[in-house]
Amino acid sequence: MNAEQSTIPRIWVFVEQQEHQVHPVSWELLGAAKRLSADLPGSVVEAVLPGHQVADLAPQAFQYGASRVYLIDNPVLEIYRNLPYAVAVSQLVKEYRPEIFLIGATTLGRDLAGSIATRVSTGLTADCTELSIDPANHILAATRPTFGGNLMATILCRRHRPQMATVRPRVLPMPDPMPDATGEVVSVPFDMREEDVPVKRLRLIRAEEQPNIEYAEVIVAGGRGMGGPEGFALLQELADALGGMVAASRPVVDAGWMDASRQVGQTGKTVRPKLYIAAGISGAVQHRVGMSGADVILAINTDPNAPIFQIATMGIVGDLYEVIPALIRQVKGQSHDGQAHL
Amino acid sequence: MTDRLTFDAIVVGAGPAGVAAALTMARGGLNVIIIERGRFAGAKNLFGGVFYTHALADVLPDYWERKPPFERPVTEQGYWMLSPDSAIRVMHKSERYLKEPADAYTVLRARFDPWFAEQAAAAGALLITRTTVTQLLKDERGRAIGVDTDRPEGKVYAPVVIIAEGVNNLLTQQAGLIASDLPPKYVALAVKEYINLPAKDLQTRFGLSGPREGVAIDVFGDVTLGLPGTGFIYTDQSGISIGVGMLLDEFVTHRLRPYEVLERFKRHPVVRPYLEGGEVREYGAHLIPEMGYDRMPKLASDGVMVAGDAAGMVDALHREGTNLAITAGRMAGETALAAHQAGDFSAAFLSRYRRSLEGSFVLKDMKQYRRMTDFLESSPQFMGTYVNLLNEAALRYFTAHGIPKRTMEHDILKMVRERRSFTGVAWDMLKLMRAMRG
Amino acid sequence: MHAVVAIKQVPDTSNVRIDPETGTLIREGVPAIVNPYDLHAVEAAVQLKERLGGGQVTVITMGPPKAAEALLECVEQGADRAILISDRKFGGADTLATSYVLAHAIEIINAESPVDIVLFGKQAIDGDTAQVGPGVATRLNIPLITYAVAIEEFDLASRRAVVHRRVEQGIEVLETTLPALLTVEKEIAPVRHAPLPRLIAAARYQPETWTATSPIPFDPQQIGLKGSPTVVGKAYTPAPRSGGDVLSVADLGLDAVVARAMAVIGQAHVRDLHSFTGAVS
Repeated sequence: MNAEQSTIPRIWVFVEQQEHQVHPVSWELLGAAKRLSADLPGSVVEAVLPGHQVADLAPQAFQYGASRVYLIDNPVLEIYRNLPYAVAVSQLVKEYRPEIFLIGATTLGRDLAGSIATRVSTGLTADCTELSIDPANHILAATRPTFGGNLMATILCRRHRPQMATVRPRVLPMPDPMPDATGEVVSVPFDMREEDVPVKRLRLIRAEEQPNIEYAEVIVAGGRGMGGPEGFALLQELADALGGMVAASRPVVDAGWMDASRQVGQTGKTVRPKLYIAAGISGAVQHRVGMSGADVILAINTDPNAPIFQIATMGIVGDLYEVIPALIRQVKGQSHDGQAHL
Repeated sequence: MTDRLTFDAIVVGAGPAGVAAALTMARGGLNVIIIERGRFAGAKNLFGGVFYTHALADVLPDYWERKPPFERPVTEQGYWMLSPDSAIRVMHKSERYLKEPADAYTVLRARFDPWFAEQAAAAGALLITRTTVTQLLKDERGRAIGVDTDRPEGKVYAPVVIIAEGVNNLLTQQAGLIASDLPPKYVALAVKEYINLPAKDLQTRFGLSGPREGVAIDVFGDVTLGLPGTGFIYTDQSGISIGVGMLLDEFVTHRLRPYEVLERFKRHPVVRPYLEGGEVREYGAHLIPEMGYDRMPKLASDGVMVAGDAAGMVDALHREGTNLAITAGRMAGETALAAHQAGDFSAAFLSRYRRSLEGSFVLKDMKQYRRMTDFLESSPQFMGTYVNLLNEAALRYFTAHGIPKRTMEHDILKMVRERRSFTGVAWDMLKLMRAMRG
Repeated sequence: MHAVVAIKQVPDTSNVRIDPETGTLIREGVPAIVNPYDLHAVEAAVQLKERLGGGQVTVITMGPPKAAEALLECVEQGADRAILISDRKFGGADTLATSYVLAHAIEIINAESPVDIVLFGKQAIDGDTAQVGPGVATRLNIPLITYAVAIEEFDLASRRAVVHRRVEQGIEVLETTLPALLTVEKEIAPVRHAPLPRLIAAARYQPETWTATSPIPFDPQQIGLKGSPTVVGKAYTPAPRSGGDVLSVADLGLDAVVARAMAVIGQAHVRDLHSFTGAVS
């Protein structure tokens, strides 16, 4: 084994791409990797990019902080299937034995990470909300919620390498890209033929363009207190004025007032907007875990004891059907072009 | 095409009555199925409560070796009569309560019932839970031949059905044994909390020297705002069961919310210090039949018998219910065994069930206290006026220092005369004697 | 058709409470349930059996003796055979060790009676890792399809199946060889109210129990704590985000409250109102 491969601690990030688009969680992970690297002396941050004819995506990885991109190119990697991806990436992992390997906890990532960890016989911690380097022994401390968010656990992988972790989109902040950054591309050979892949994709039934609230900067969310689907038009008006999106708590989705793609919470989406307005949401812990990372939370509820007030930057005890229209008037009044500039 | 599910006997409900019946029949060699709607036996049950072991000993003589999950033996018991700010407390304690097994134990149903059901299962009874019996199946002559349940392919057949469904007696009505639901006048609603207390506090406050001692207190008077009803405080292993019950129509007439009545009880100046630092772990409510002997259902018909709360077998005055249920369940089981022997499941043959009950404390006590509910309802002064009077009298008696005792005695009698009159008192005593003597 | 379904008994996490002083889970009074996704997996297997007019559904679990109750619930739903894999030595297992135990058990079951499909719920609601299914598929060297929402076709003769998989963009229609391992979403099959005869069968059924040594030996290096690369360093209740002022419209009037709200909104620095919708939906 060459000296370079054995001694440098490598912090790897899996770059997820589908249809030539990189999932932003990959960049969020590179940001985290850079922060970890500061606490791990002599370490490097590198990206793993499997796919077919995706070399042109490598520069983005450099911009977000990778010093090297391992490019694995093979037609069998064009569309994601577990076997080719798991085998290709595991081979690479066994060759370099990185110190840490981070993967986004997307559908693809969650399908892939467990397979890689099993193939290379190492530890994997899923859905982490925090990653840090333990200063005493320089190992990764990966913290994740368990029991529906009621208990946080910090998991350590003391002896096995790489220490693997997955992180959901929008849990970590998006780093600022460095447009002039460059790095090294290493082409990794990978032999697999299509006939060796037992799973074929026959077709993709695209869902109607689903609104993606995960990346909205402003969210106006409604809960059971809305009383019905009609009120959401009001929330939409406020969201439009603020340039944001409408979301919903789980009871609203269960009642059929809003689509599941709008659901924020433990069984829905995690959001980290700059502004989260919660209207008629009581704030049960299962909802809070999906939005407590917002910078500013404004909550409106008729119940002064609603748990949401415990985490809101400001709480309003009142009728949302009075307060929201008043807010809309204020927000629109402050702007000249119907949009707010705050 | 699918074979009919057939058993020798069906028991509806895995509470004490049902399990006692099933245990008796299974031990007698019958193929028994118990159908319980709760997630587990006891899931739907709640009581104060004090459990009397004699009934268990009759149905399961070696019960003590099987380590029943009792809370505490009752080694001190009595009454607290509360006025709004005082209490007269009459407690009885004796070394003679200290035997093992004791005569009575405090029990938590969610722990006891599953254990009891397990004994029936061990004897060969099949316990099916999470299944509700929806209907009695009858043949062309109206004889019970089985039951239907809320599950697909849910019909079960047997020549004898023992209904132990509890206070919501829908099946009993369907079987034609009782005409209708219990009116609010003849059913009580009781609410209770289980409050955890640190061991030291539990022991010092209730004078317990260890886990082999326990206290059972029944409370009257202000606990139910002077209305007919009772409260209770019973010591469990690591805490207390505290609760209050009143007739449903009292709650309705006086617009009282059960939980508020309990809260008020807990805040009473004499009661509150006992609960200090405790943590409410559970809260529950349950209905209790108070129909009395004269309004009990018919106890048997062709192919069917009814036992326990479903048959109104409750003696509230003596806080007895579970032991009546177990005894009745046992007797129903014995009758079913005899019926199988004779090949006769007719109402006429099954009438020996009633005769067994008549020969036992079950119907004898129910008959003796048949007038109790009506009496208490028509004489609210027993819970209200008299209790307050006694407390007032006690206060005056004990603070009569420096005034002539004759004056104090005079005051007390004046108070009685004003609040009730002496003829009123005499009349009340007479009515009470009649109600107690049966 | 022989389907193996792996299940887990979990605490009902919607009812879980944490002791604020010790940071540990208060387990008493919390009902233990079959992991909801696993119950749907059992249903999917049973419905597949019905669709094909016959077959066997074997359900397995690695857990403490109490997990036998969960197995019986699966027998109520239609499973034919239930195996409890239980031993103190399995304790402390993380997902790697768990996948070893389950995969090894499935290999033995397969040797007795060839397995056509293995089903897992997509994740356990207590651990939420979703790792064990993929780990088992990898060890068994069979194709893995996660987030399955429907089995459109299942043909034993040609050893192939067509499965629908939910992804962010929609539904992938995948064809796979058999045997394969699926992790499933709730939509794969609704959990039906079990018929009474099945409850009776389950009440009379005794699950088989396998230990670390019998009837088959498990490698002691790969089970329990020994076989677990990860350990819990510490566990704690999350520091609550603290709340700010709560103002009442009734007390202060709508205008005053809204004015304060606007100031708070201003703190969010929502400039230019660009929502980053991201490259992928």
